[in-house]
Amino acid sequence: MVESDTQLVARAKCGDQQAFAELIRRHSPRVFRLAVSILGREFIPEAEEVAQEVFIKVHHAIESFRAEAEFSSWIYRITFNQAVNLKALVRFRSPHADETVLYRAVTTEPGPDRQAATKQRDQALAECIRRLPEVYQSALRLYYWLGAGVGEVAELLAFPSIPLNRICIALANFSMTC
Amino acid sequence: MEPRETGIDSLLRRTMAAPVPSLPPDFEQGVMRELRQDLQVPDRYRRILLNGYGLISVVTSAEVMRGQGLDWGPIAVMILGPLTLVVAAARARHARIMKETA
Repeated sequence: MVESDTQLVARAKCGDQQAFAELIRRHSPRVFRLAVSILGREFIPEAEEVAQEVFIKVHHAIESFRAEAEFSSWIYRITFNQAVNLKALVRFRSPHADETVLYRAVTTEPGPDRQAATKQRDQALAECIRRLPEVYQSALRLYYWLGAGVGEVAELLAFPSIPLNRICIALANFSMTC
Repeated sequence: MEPRETGIDSLLRRTMAAPVPSLPPDFEQGVMRELRQDLQVPDRYRRILLNGYGLISVVTSAEVMRGQGLDWGPIAVMILGPLTLVVAAARARHARIMKETA
């Protein structure tokens, strides 16, 4: 029989390491995806560190966790805060590193003019994305890069419904002015 | 969907296309190893500190009570009584949680 998170948390509170290991197995893929979606593809090793830090923090604080809340919501909130803090730190250390360089330059299109135009458009789009609130940036990466469904995006970011369509329209309007 | 919206949708799909990363298969073992290292040292010191405190308290209490002219019988009851209660409460809590999660 598969144990619920509540049962595993109760066992982990009693010091059952097997139960905590099961919680890690169950939640680590999503914790990692959320961390990656916030940090971006340039910081995949850092996202792994964030995931590790999150589970260490959760282990230290599991005694204080109250069963009224969902364990998954709790752990995603910790991940979000941890990753956002790390991102701010990284930006502070290297303020010129933005995601413009991360977006793939398309080289399959013919002609240098066309390539330059495409690259410029991609950079403008990346700049527009960078200006969005953190939660929307993360939503876009989860949906378009990591292939998460709308439901998963909403669950990970604790948004009842992420307005992806509206973000897209805003980006379209934005990129015309960038 | 508006054409402009469709355009941005396909543009986002194209620009964000990249291999999806995943955690190494031994991630969980790594975290557990880290936790064990993290817990071992403070746990050992905490236990030494707690045992030392307990021992000094027992000796001091016994000395004070003897000084007040009490016999060893009541002294033993007053020291061992609360200790037994603490152990029983901890065992009961553990048993209740195990029953809830069974």
